[in-house]
Amino acid sequence: MIELQELTRRYADKTAVDRLSLEVRDGETCVLIGPSGCGKTTTLRMINRLLEPTSGRVLIGGVDAATIDPVELRRGLGYAIQSVGLFPHLTVRDNIATVPRLLGWDDARIGERAEELLALVRLEPAAYLGKYPRQLSGGEAQRVGVARALAADPPVLLMDEPFGAVDPLTRERLQIEFARIQRELHKTVVFVTHDVDEAIRLADRIAVMRDGRLLQYDTPENVLDHPADKFVHDFMGADRALKRLVRVRVTDVLEPAPRIRPGEPVSSAEPPVTDGRMFVYVVDAEDRLAGWVDGREMAAGRSVEEATTRVDRAVAAVPGDATLKEALSAMLGLGFRHIAVIDAEGRLLGEVGFDAIDRVLASGDARRAGEGA
Amino acid sequence: MAAPHPRYVLDPVALTGAVTALVSCLALPLAQLRSSRLALAGEPHRALEAGPFGVAAVALALAAVAVALVGRPALRRLLAQLDATALAVALAWAFGAAVTRLAAQAPPIARVSPGVGFWVALAGAAALAFAGRDAAPASRPWRSLALGAVALAGFAAAAAYGGLAQVSIGREYAVRSDVFWQLAAQHLALAGAGLAGGVLIGVPLGIAATRRPRLRALALGVTGILETVPSLALLGLLIAPLAALAAAYPSLEAAGVGGIGPAPALIALVTYALLPVVRGTYVALDSVDFALVDAGRGMGMSRVQLFARVELPLALPLVIEGVRVAAVLLIGITTVTAFVGEGGFGALIFQGVGQNAPDLILLGALPVIVLAVVADYGLRAVASLATPRGVGAA
Repeated sequence: MIELQELTRRYADKTAVDRLSLEVRDGETCVLIGPSGCGKTTTLRMINRLLEPTSGRVLIGGVDAATIDPVELRRGLGYAIQSVGLFPHLTVRDNIATVPRLLGWDDARIGERAEELLALVRLEPAAYLGKYPRQLSGGEAQRVGVARALAADPPVLLMDEPFGAVDPLTRERLQIEFARIQRELHKTVVFVTHDVDEAIRLADRIAVMRDGRLLQYDTPENVLDHPADKFVHDFMGADRALKRLVRVRVTDVLEPAPRIRPGEPVSSAEPPVTDGRMFVYVVDAEDRLAGWVDGREMAAGRSVEEATTRVDRAVAAVPGDATLKEALSAMLGLGFRHIAVIDAEGRLLGEVGFDAIDRVLASGDARRAGEGA
Repeated sequence: MAAPHPRYVLDPVALTGAVTALVSCLALPLAQLRSSRLALAGEPHRALEAGPFGVAAVALALAAVAVALVGRPALRRLLAQLDATALAVALAWAFGAAVTRLAAQAPPIARVSPGVGFWVALAGAAALAFAGRDAAPASRPWRSLALGAVALAGFAAAAAYGGLAQVSIGREYAVRSDVFWQLAAQHLALAGAGLAGGVLIGVPLGIAATRRPRLRALALGVTGILETVPSLALLGLLIAPLAALAAAYPSLEAAGVGGIGPAPALIALVTYALLPVVRGTYVALDSVDFALVDAGRGMGMSRVQLFARVELPLALPLVIEGVRVAAVLLIGITTVTAFVGEGGFGALIFQGVGQNAPDLILLGALPVIVLAVVADYGLRAVASLATPRGVGAA
């Protein structure tokens, strides 16, 4: 657990952080967000003592950080920054090995760990271990940056806009990957960003800051639905309802998808097709999504083989760890009211319909409406 | 259609060098026969009169013009360097042949020395070679180094077998060969000691300057001012205080400290080495991306670890660049310290000026130029070796 108590950092002409107190529970991700100059980075840098607080305390696991040697302290806290800061003269392997080397790990263990981490951030170890940072794309460099921060398996990760320097598409991909990694590893994360979508996607709790003060510290749902003041309300944006969709995973609202195999009649679809349903998914022997058939064409007497629209799974379905926002975006892209959900092997898990999205949006409205009454 | 043809770009440096070499080979004297070692003007002798090597030199200069017009840059650069090397060697041998022929006809007191054409054609070849160096700034200069070595070997061979020893400067050397090598050793020792002192003081000072802003202003300011003091003036300024010091402390005098001699020479040389070394070190460390320092600190590197594992490896090539500039500077300035009785090759130049003997001046000046060029290329090579993989050119 990380506990900030009345943390303050004053400079000659301004107070960068003003009596900030908050608690980050073990295994939770706390996102510090606010406009530039709000003190979020200063706060982060006081946690690993890159900056010393003017007053107040940082407790890590109940121990006052000020009593720990800063160099020792930092080796126990993973650190990733916006410009990635990969050492250009070292290979990917040696970059990842930075903290393990400082801790005196032997070479075999370091090599094993580097491979494990590259696999975790979905980079092919054999291809990437020997590369130099300038041979990496922006997204690959950020992945290596995350791997390096995780190298010595620190219980705490401090991240300062770690996905800041890449294009929006890559950025979203990295956020999804990081959310997946975090679900596996349950690190205690303090994450600085100025991107509201990023905060909502990754945070267990969001700390909204302005002018060095903490305005609100709560779950993304509560910050969206019950902003503490007008600033928080405006900062979270006009599309707060849509942003909620990032908080819900497709697997949370999954519905069974009617499916048939080539050669089977539509009437054999499992679960059975109900009234008003226009199409049925076609799966292969291993239950992998192959395409779909339009019910009306089948009714016109054509066989499943003739009527099947074969599809590219990457476009026509979303993975199980996708959020409702991605599902909605895929639906809009295809012009459908449903989207198939598949697992990593392409097996059809189920589908998400527009109704489910509607319900999620409505529940937020209901909460706000209830509060207003 | 295939990819559009790259636009033809003329290389003005290569063309200028080639045309200069051609014109000077054809129109200017390759060698001149002077009535004695003190005579300034002489009877001209052109390249085409110098036998097969002279004809070869003219042909290579002609080829250089054609090479300079080649459209493909990589090919043009390679051919330019090959042609420039061959041209330089041909000039040396043509000149040697001219010397042998002229010396055979003339009385022993007469001297054969290089004509304007020889020097200008060599300069043209150098320009051509320069235009042919690799375009990528941080690329490894192996080709230039190898061809430079070939050219030097060609000159040495011409000196040994091609009549170059008969040239006036060769005859100046012949009567002073012992002194020449003593002076060479002294020149290297002085410049080397000055450089060592400059590095030992300058590198730590440069490092300290990156850590303390106030020291930075002081260190860069003071060394900058010292650099602007003319070397002769600095030596003159040192005479009085050092003489006084020696007079006051006989032990110092016994150790060689005095108004003239090695003490002022070394002090001056160390002083001049300081600015390039301090500035090079400072700039090198300062140019290390702050994000890297921040990342290193944030991951728990101590200051020493950060310096040794991140800052130094990244800064080293630029530090060596500073040392290279200082080395070239010191090899030149060492000449001037002849003023206080040291000075290596400078002693020959001063003597030559005193005797009004141009060949003797050349005997002192040419080795200094060769040393400076060798030091320059050598340290460039060291700098590129010190550039970590992953940072330099692909």
